[in-house]
Order: sequence, then structure tokens, then C-alpha cells
Amino acid sequence: MIPLALLLMAAAGSPGILTPHGEKAVVLLFIRSDCPISNRYAPELERLYREYSPKGVDFLLVYPETGLSESAMREHGREYGYTIPAVLDPKHEYVQRAGAHVTPEAVVFVSGKVIYRGRIDDWYIDIGKSRQRASEHDVADVLAGIVAGRTPPFRETQAVGCAIETLL
Amino acid sequence: MRRALVLLLAVPALAQTVTFTKDIAPIVFHYCSPCHRPGEVAPFSLLNYSDARKHAAQIVAVTERRYMPPWPPAPGSGDFADERRLTDAQLRTIADWVREGAPEGRPSDLPPAPHFTEGWQLGTPDLIVRMPRPYVVPASGGDVFRNFVIPVDLKSVRYVRAVELRPGNNRVVHHANIVIDRAQSLRHRDGEDGQPGFPGMDVITEGSPGAFDPDSHFLFWKPGTVLRPEPDDMSWRLDPGTDLVLNLHLQPTGKPETLQPVIGLWFTDRAPTRFPMLVQLEDDGALDIPPGDHHFTVSDHLTLPVAVDVLAIYPHAHYVGKRVEAWATLPDGSRRSLIRIDDWDINWQAVYQYRKPVSLPKGTTVSMRITYDNSADNPRNPSSPPIRVRGGNRSIDEMGHVWLQVLPKKDSDEDPRLDLQEALMRRRLEKYPADFLAHYNLGALCFTRGKTADAVRWYQEALRVEPANATARNSLAAALLAENRQDEAIAQLREALRIDPSYLNARFNLARVLGARGDLAGAAAEYAAFVREQPDDADAQSALGAILLAQHRFDEALPCFRAAARLRPGDDGLQTNLGALLAMHGDIAEAVAAFERALAIDPANVKARANLERARAQLARSGSHSQ
Repeated sequence: MIPLALLLMAAAGSPGILTPHGEKAVVLLFIRSDCPISNRYAPELERLYREYSPKGVDFLLVYPETGLSESAMREHGREYGYTIPAVLDPKHEYVQRAGAHVTPEAVVFVSGKVIYRGRIDDWYIDIGKSRQRASEHDVADVLAGIVAGRTPPFRETQAVGCAIETLL
Repeated sequence: MRRALVLLLAVPALAQTVTFTKDIAPIVFHYCSPCHRPGEVAPFSLLNYSDARKHAAQIVAVTERRYMPPWPPAPGSGDFADERRLTDAQLRTIADWVREGAPEGRPSDLPPAPHFTEGWQLGTPDLIVRMPRPYVVPASGGDVFRNFVIPVDLKSVRYVRAVELRPGNNRVVHHANIVIDRAQSLRHRDGEDGQPGFPGMDVITEGSPGAFDPDSHFLFWKPGTVLRPEPDDMSWRLDPGTDLVLNLHLQPTGKPETLQPVIGLWFTDRAPTRFPMLVQLEDDGALDIPPGDHHFTVSDHLTLPVAVDVLAIYPHAHYVGKRVEAWATLPDGSRRSLIRIDDWDINWQAVYQYRKPVSLPKGTTVSMRITYDNSADNPRNPSSPPIRVRGGNRSIDEMGHVWLQVLPKKDSDEDPRLDLQEALMRRRLEKYPADFLAHYNLGALCFTRGKTADAVRWYQEALRVEPANATARNSLAAALLAENRQDEAIAQLREALRIDPSYLNARFNLARVLGARGDLAGAAAEYAAFVREQPDDADAQSALGAILLAQHRFDEALPCFRAAARLRPGDDGLQTNLGALLAMHGDIAEAVAAFERALAIDPANVKARANLERARAQLARSGSHSQ
């Protein structure tokens, strides 16, 4: 199978977020290697991937960090147990196309259109303020709807984490 | 004219441009870099322009929320050392800088880079102890509160002036308390669930029985802690056989983290002459918070029987705690704030040291009030839906404590801590009339003060609450003995041993009373049972030897005297006793050697000197006789 990252980058200009042939949705997960909130989500992001990837959802980790090398990205992924395909986004091409502001943040595309943008779940209420465990699982709910054949209307929530820095 | 006006406007505008080197670096170097540097807790470094630029928007987000730098006390609620609160003006400067594109500025404006000591903050410690086995924090899940017992291998009493914890893995340790366990009362719990350590947010140790030895120092660590050694005259005592218990708050990071902290200790030769004491305000017994209650309050107070200097304060609550406040009401009615935290967050609990000690006159009342929010609106509520919350050491339980480290001022020959302890325990009795600890401690206090008849009564009260408490039976026996009530003392000691046959302290005391009463066979049996369990106790070996000697059981007594002298080679009295026994046995040459050892330790030992002369004379006689 062609890695999704390549497929997306093949589109001219800003990356077209295409749903690969046969897939029901694409989830971009914006993360940052030195953001503690983003890192604490690693097991949960990986869990989502393992659950929904076999059901026809494509996942891509996006590192919108300037100055992060390919090898540092791979090392970070290995450390945190990520098996989700990952891509660097130093020029914020994915950031702009998806409209992401924060890490961690999820943006879900169906047929090239954003249908969800925001938090993974409600574990964090604000920076430094979290519940013991999440009670609402926004991304999982959206994906469960999609694989069950019900594509929900567009929704946006406030993601809590580290601001994606503007480029110089 | 018009041109001049333009110039006038332009100059101040230029001067106001916020740059990293001129305006931001002084803030970052002072407030951020101590933790934001390699090897420290913070997730990334903030040591130069490039670091700050990479996190500029994030810096604004966390500072405007006052999440960073972490400084929970409300402004003006206490004058604390190392305050890390940014002023409103500083917050505006940071926001302006980022809004203006986070410019670097002139290199010549840059202040000198901050300097940090690598490794141990005070150089190589005098003693380093390590957690025996590493512990692995899982990648995900709730926070872990765990305790690890670290035995300390000491040959003699030492006085500690500084302690430093090096977690080994700074990212995962949120805060730590080092608890002194003088009686090794928690050792048996370590590993109880198959993993190193044992769970629990708070630990309670048993004090050494009999001795008035209250905790005196906060041994608290959080990331970024600056080590401040105690003045030599305020060091604390570390005895051989003491365990350190590391009480850790660990936070999963997203990947498994292995942890094996080390503790460094710095000693001083000077025994302390000033003794601070930790005073706890609490009313955990009143903690019974209905689910859904937004505003549950617990309070406590103590009127100080002596003048004190408050050196530091440590508030403690768990997740449902919302607001913490402590203050002092002086005898003239004026009120002085000690601390206030309006949005309590256990993640940032800390010991706060006052920049200058807070002097409170005798008769001052110190008070605390803690408010709890056990509703679903409190996002930190560990239970969803909320449940009834009571006092306890699990994360779903609550606590409400304000600890003060105070230095009582002496106004008589007596240790002023005794008055403080008495006031604390009498306050405890007001809160909990049937409290074992208060009765027991009041008994111990009377015993220390020589009021042994009162001690007997308090201990008896304590035993009415907890009849099966062997420690209290043993202490009661000691008080009864001091009152010359030997039969009752023996009965209490036998009862203590019936409750806990392995209670060596009681066995030793029983042997001693029996010996004093002339029941040599009884005493010998108890001492023998003691040394079977504790063969390395020089006092017991020596006492058993003396009893056996009194029974004319020389052959059995000799090994006891040998053991005692071997166990405490620096004790001239034990060497002298051994010599005397060897001489009685006819081993004159060996006896001479023992007396010589005693005299080497203390040349002024009269008994050893006299015995040596006699032994030498005898040696000479037997020598000439055999020729």
C-alpha cells in the first residue's frame, strides 16, 4: 500500500486531503514532540488508530514543528510507541489546510471536507486542568458514526494543549 | 515644525518595541530557565532566543493563565522566599512581544546567561542512598501515588543539614516527600502488591516509643527546588536503623518511565541546639462531604502556649479541595495572613518558606480553613458522578491539612516543644474525645516531664480506647515502674507480649524488672529470648551475661560478655566486664588484653586500671609458679 503521507503530498500546492480509495475518512492528528499534553495523549491516539484503522479510517500524525528533523520525529514516535504514519509539516501546509491551532488536535476529513476539528476528548479542560479520565470521547464518537455509515454534520470543539506557533 | 513633531512621536514608539534581549530574556532567565533546561522537569528548554521563539505563542497562553510559572499563593497572602509570581506588567510585556512578532533585539541588550550547578547542588553528598529496585510508571492511566522504603546504612548517629532528591527521571516525578521512619514501621509494606513500594498518597509512621521526638523539618521536593541547607544548629538527627520513606506523586507521560531515585545527605558534626517542630492543623474527622456539595468547609485552630517563629507552611488537600487559607490572630486581635490559595491544585502543592520568619507572640491563635467542591462542576473531582468523600489516603479520599514549621522560643529551662505538644494534644482531645493518640501522647508528655502518676492515668485512658495496643501497655509499664508499682508493671508487660510476642522492647523491659526483683531465672529466660531475636544488641548481651553471672553460670555468661564487647568495641565498661569474667575463668592473659583495650579507650577507667594491676600480678605469680 502506498503510504498515506505520500499520497497526500502528491497533490499540488497545499496538500489536498484526499480520502484514499476505499477509505471512509482521513484523520489528521496534530502533535508536538515537546508538548507534555500532546505526549500524554500518545496511548489514546494509538488506541484510536488500532480501533478505526481496520475499519477503513486513515490516520496521519502531523508534527507542525519547525526545526524537527526526520530522524528526531521517528525517534519520538518510537519512544511513545506510535505506529501511526507520521509526517513533518515545517511549512504548516497541513496546519493551514486543516485549520489546526493546537497540539494535540484532531481534524477529520470525509471526501475532502472537514467534518470535525478540535479536541480528542474532554480529558483536559484547560492547560494544567484535567479530569481523572475523559467523559466525552469526541473523535471516537465521530469515527464510530462514520464507520456505521452516518457522517455527522460539521462540528468544532476547543482543543487544549500547546499552541501551534506561527511561522516567522 | 511639522517634521520636529513627527520625530518626537517616532522616538518613543521605537523605544517601546519589546525585544527578547532587552525585555524578555530577564524574565525567562529568572522565572523559566531554572526548570526549562536539559535534565530538569520541564518539557523543553528556555535558555535562549531560539528556544523562546519556538514556544512564543505557548508562553503567552500559559503565562496569561498564570499556569506558568507555577505560583499558587494569592498575592499578598504571605511573604515567601523564591516567589515566582509574574507581575501584571510582566505578563503584558510577554504578550506585547509575541504580538509584535517576537523580535530578538540588539545582542548588546542580552543579560548574562543564567548559571546552574550541574549534578548535586552542594557537591558530593556525605551519604548517597538509592531506592533498592526501579519502579516503572505505566504510559497511561491516572496519577500514581506510591511510597518506597529506603534503608539507610549508618554506623552511628549523624546530624543532617541538607537532603537532596535526584529522581533520576524528572519528567515523571511531580513532587516528593521524604518521611523519616525511625521505627522501621513501613518496611513490611514495601512490595506488598508485587511491585516495588506500596500505594498511598500519605504515609503515617510510628515514632520511636518513649522518646519525645517530633518531626522538625519538611523534607519536601518538587521540580526546581533550590536546596537550602539548614543552619548547623538546626540540623536533624538520623539514627542507625532509620528508614527513609519516599512518598512520590507520579504522573504518566505517555510512555513507560523507569524510576530509581537517589537521595543525597549532607551531615554536620554539630548536634542541633535549636529544635523546630511541625505543627499540624487538621480536622480530618469532620471530612464527610456529601456528593454534589459545592462548598464544604473544614477548619481548625490552635492557640500557641509559647511564642514561635513560623519558618514555613505546607498546605495539603487532594483533588476535591478548592480553597486553602491560614492566618494568625494575635493577642491584640489583629489578623495576619499566613497563606491563601484560591484555586487549590494538588499538582502544584509545595512547602512555602517565609522570606523572614513570621514571629507570633504567645497566645496567638493560628487557624486554617479549607473549602471543598465535591460537585460534578469541579473537573478535578476524581469520581464521576461524585461520591461521598471522607478522610483517607487514596486519591478518591480527601485530606485537609495545614502544617506549620515553627521554632518555639524558650522562656524557661524546659524544652518549649513540650508546651506546644501539650497544646496540640489537648486540642486533639477537643476534636476527638475518644482519641487514642492524644491520650497516649499526653501520657508520654507527662512521663518526659517526670509526672509519672499523671502518665499512668493518661496511658490507662489510651488503653481504654485501644486495649490491644502493645506499645501503650509497654509505656504504661514504664510509668508504673517509675511509680514503684512493679507487680502491675509486670502484668502490663506480660499482656503486651501476649498481644505481640515479637515485641522486643517489652521483652527487654520485662527482663529488666524481673532481674531487679531478683527473679534471676525469669530474667535470664526473657533476656535469652531477646538475644535469640536480636543477637546484635550489646545491652541485652551484657545484661544477660550479668544475670547468668549472678546465677554462677560462668560458662554461659562468658560468650555474652564476649558478644557485648565485640558489638561495642569502643565501650571501655564492656571491655572491663569481659576482662573481669575472663580473669574469673582463669584466662589471665586474655583478661589483661581486655583491660588494656579498656584503658586504651579511657585511660582514666579506674576499675580497668585496678583489675589490670591485679591480673598482671597474678600472671607474674602464676608465671613464677610454673617455672
